[in-house]
Amino acid sequence: MTGFLQAVAYGLLQGGLLALVAVGFSLVWGVMNVVNLSHGAFVVLGAYVGLLVNQRLGLDPFLGMFVAAVALFALGYVVQRFVINLVVNGPIFITLLLTFGLELLLTQGMNIAFTANYQGIQTTYAGTSFAVAGVQIPVGRLLAFVLSVVVTVALVAVMNRTRVGMSIMATGMDRGAARLMGIRARHVYALTFGIAAGLAGMAGTMIGMVGTFNPASAGGFTLLSFVIAVLGGLGNMYGALAGGMLIGLVQALGGYFLSGTWVNALAFLVLILVLMFRPSGLVGKAFYSARLEV
Amino acid sequence: MNTRVLFVSVVTVGALALTACGSKGEAGPSAGSGDTLTLGASVSLTGKLAREGTLTQEGYKLCVEKVNAKGGVKVGGKTLKLAVSYQDDTSKPDTAAQLVDQFNDQGIKLILGSYGSANTEAQAAVIERNNQVMVDSSGADDKIFAKGYKRTFAVLSPASEYAASIVKALADLASPKPTSVAFLSADDGFSKTAADGGVAAAKAAGFTVTGPELFPNGATDVSSALNKVKGSAPDVIIGSVHLAEGVAIVKQVKELGLKPKAIGETVAPPTPDFVTTLGAAADGVLGSSQWTKAVSGKDDYFGDASAYDADIQKAFGHAAGYHNAEASAACLALVLATEKAGSTDPTAVRDALAALDVTTFFGRVKFDATGKNVTKPMVVIQIQGGKAVTVWPKDMAEGSLVWPALGS
Amino acid sequence: MAAEQLRYRPTVRTATPWALGVLLVAAALALQTQLYTGQARTVTAIFMYVALALSWNLIGGYTGYASFGQVVFFGIGGYFTAVAMTHLGWSFWVALVASGLFAACYGALVGIPLLRLRGHYFAIATLGMAEGTREIVTNLPELTGGGGGITLPTVGAAATTPYLGNDGFYVLFLALAAIALLVTGVISRSKFGFALRAIHQDEDAAAAIGINTTRTKVVTFALSGFLAGMVGSAYAFQQVTIYPERLFDVEITVLMVVMVVIGGSGTVIGPVIGAVALQFVSEWLRQNYTDIHTLLLGGIIILAVILLPQGLANYVREARRTGEYSLLANVRRYRL
Repeated sequence: MTGFLQAVAYGLLQGGLLALVAVGFSLVWGVMNVVNLSHGAFVVLGAYVGLLVNQRLGLDPFLGMFVAAVALFALGYVVQRFVINLVVNGPIFITLLLTFGLELLLTQGMNIAFTANYQGIQTTYAGTSFAVAGVQIPVGRLLAFVLSVVVTVALVAVMNRTRVGMSIMATGMDRGAARLMGIRARHVYALTFGIAAGLAGMAGTMIGMVGTFNPASAGGFTLLSFVIAVLGGLGNMYGALAGGMLIGLVQALGGYFLSGTWVNALAFLVLILVLMFRPSGLVGKAFYSARLEV
Repeated sequence: MNTRVLFVSVVTVGALALTACGSKGEAGPSAGSGDTLTLGASVSLTGKLAREGTLTQEGYKLCVEKVNAKGGVKVGGKTLKLAVSYQDDTSKPDTAAQLVDQFNDQGIKLILGSYGSANTEAQAAVIERNNQVMVDSSGADDKIFAKGYKRTFAVLSPASEYAASIVKALADLASPKPTSVAFLSADDGFSKTAADGGVAAAKAAGFTVTGPELFPNGATDVSSALNKVKGSAPDVIIGSVHLAEGVAIVKQVKELGLKPKAIGETVAPPTPDFVTTLGAAADGVLGSSQWTKAVSGKDDYFGDASAYDADIQKAFGHAAGYHNAEASAACLALVLATEKAGSTDPTAVRDALAALDVTTFFGRVKFDATGKNVTKPMVVIQIQGGKAVTVWPKDMAEGSLVWPALGS
Repeated sequence: MAAEQLRYRPTVRTATPWALGVLLVAAALALQTQLYTGQARTVTAIFMYVALALSWNLIGGYTGYASFGQVVFFGIGGYFTAVAMTHLGWSFWVALVASGLFAACYGALVGIPLLRLRGHYFAIATLGMAEGTREIVTNLPELTGGGGGITLPTVGAAATTPYLGNDGFYVLFLALAAIALLVTGVISRSKFGFALRAIHQDEDAAAAIGINTTRTKVVTFALSGFLAGMVGSAYAFQQVTIYPERLFDVEITVLMVVMVVIGGSGTVIGPVIGAVALQFVSEWLRQNYTDIHTLLLGGIIILAVILLPQGLANYVREARRTGEYSLLANVRRYRL
């Protein structure tokens, strides 16, 4: 029984972290209809930024993640404004292809800049844990989980309450109408991508704190984001949180009850079932289905 | 208009392919001609094995430097400069095999292995067909040597020894002796062979064995496998892993509150990144290694093991890992065999390799009939104060085993 | 009427593409005599991707269903062959066709539920299906060797079919690419092909004019599975030892998509151009810029996408029609 509870606890915590990885990906897909294959590379880049400020300036990852967020936001803004915007009106394959190229570029760029060595951001607390009713709760993952929830709530608030957020949502729903209302779509798109990249940067720093990474990890994060974004419903930020936790739980429990690596097959079965029976995602309505293509 | 497109493409196919490859007339055999001996090496510089691939390339580079510093390779009265042609196989077995074929086109018959068992296995099949010869620096899976290949030689101990050596070291050194061992393993062929070898050794030594529990190769979350063995509260957890999973095991054992007396892992602990990634958490972890700087034996090119370590430090700015050493040793074995054969003819070199029996900085290199180096023992290290200290076998030990290894 | 135009009339104009197709194959065969065997192997990889890109083009390019799990057919084709030759002692040639059929059946089976989904949902569902299938293959070690791989019998008494060697595989993969090209050519000009394009443009409208969209999609998916399955089978035999990680590698799917898009999706020749160009460029970069080749490849892909978003074949076609050759005009069209 303790084993079961332990698996649940761990799965939820892991899921929260995954949600933070995926939320930006979901936002970009939902608002701009761009499947960003370089998302994982942004996550890893964020981890490197977090690592650098930790090693050079001694910044704790929970402070370093803001540096990563700002740096990645700037990079994301530039990339969208001057590169992706050039093809954003094309069919989805076009942007897909472009971000694939970007992924190659970033991944090997990091390979050259940081070598392929595995890295981790060391803290005195992240690896420790405390017990609640026999269930071990790792401190680092708990903090990352809390962060993930806070960020998601904050993001939703920004999207629904602020002028910037509302212009992002409006552009996502109907770009033509949004432009008629005086919204600068180019700028808004760049902002959206920047925000997503910034969130990826934060997630990356957290990943670096609780786990290990190297440039080759990028692909795995993109794939996970893909799955979580669809489970949650594209562009749905709470959905990403739910999708992340579902995947975390399925992996933890499946791994606990099943032998070998059957658990991975199970995770994808869940994905397909959700798509079949609840194609707009687990939570509410997908943003994407409300879109008007212009 | 379709027709034009077609026509254009006909021309492009022809032209591109021709320029890509050159016609048969142009490219001539280049290896062994003139005063240079060129070896072919496909190394994994990008992709998921980029880390280990880079270390392998460093080992080859140092070997070239050392051999040329001695003048070069003495073949039948001539002294040839040693050179290695590197190609990136992007960590994919099919590309690694394809590159061996490309080397063959260029007349390069003497090949140094890529990184990892999958790549090496794919290469070995091609080597055999092309009558080339390969010295394998890191493909340890016993399966490669069960296929009757006659032209692939491995300087390293086979996979089945990786986890088994840790078990033997514990049976030898730990006091009070642990009673139960849980095995975890990545699900690739090499790791599973290593885990099976460990299980067999543990049963022979009278331990209670759980597992092996599997997780995907390259996993950074191994909590479910750990959760499964948690119930049996094993004294020792042995992971048959690569670096990423190895780091995850150490982190998550702590996170999940498991209290084993020791963690042992294949491959990961001797890698320099293991300590830099884990920091103090790495202390006490046991690891098996193909080589450490405590290994006895010396040769004319590299000197002894600690001289080798110093040279790697000087050239690449980090301590020598066994991935470096096995690569240098593979290159050295190929060079020594070529000198002994007195010819760069691959079959002569093959025969010389089969008969080779030398002592090097890497230890003794002597191949059995299948091409494995069975005379060299694995070394077991323990991380103590952030350093990898050789603790087993006893005659090479730099320090004694700290036991119980994980404090408490 | 449209139906009149669709009917096949063997004139010089319609016959030319076929003749050129034959010429293309003949040129490839002629090229072989000029190559070392290792070079032949490198070119063989190009043929392999030509065939794979063409298979993706049927479902992704013509029908507009972006299959992100196309590699699954390649993978199960390869594993079917491996298992049939290792455990059942089948000849490779029987296994080759059977693998294609097996992959086609698999495609039809998963296609029936999955093809109900559209757009992104189809993409992600097929991706999940491919990853899930890989895990199943990995977890049946008695049958497939699991993560440790499976070795096909190619030497000694166990060998059911003599190994073909680099020259043999050159011809085999060329033949597979030619079959894929032929199938695509026939479909492109047939009523079936127009049904696919109709589904791509507006599925509801296509259904309204009497196209059985479900059947059409499932048949196409199965057909593309058949082609990719045979390629996987040939690949398994060529590699001798295969691993699930590589046979179900997402990157292979991505490459198919990239090749089709660069060459021009929904055209017969586009995927061929894309596959040849991309394979050639990446091989050339790897040989000449070993340290930074994927970085350069990434940059080239980005440039190609920005300057030629509709793919080379479609660009040439449109440019000839409109007389507008400027690449900058091209950039303008998808720019925000």
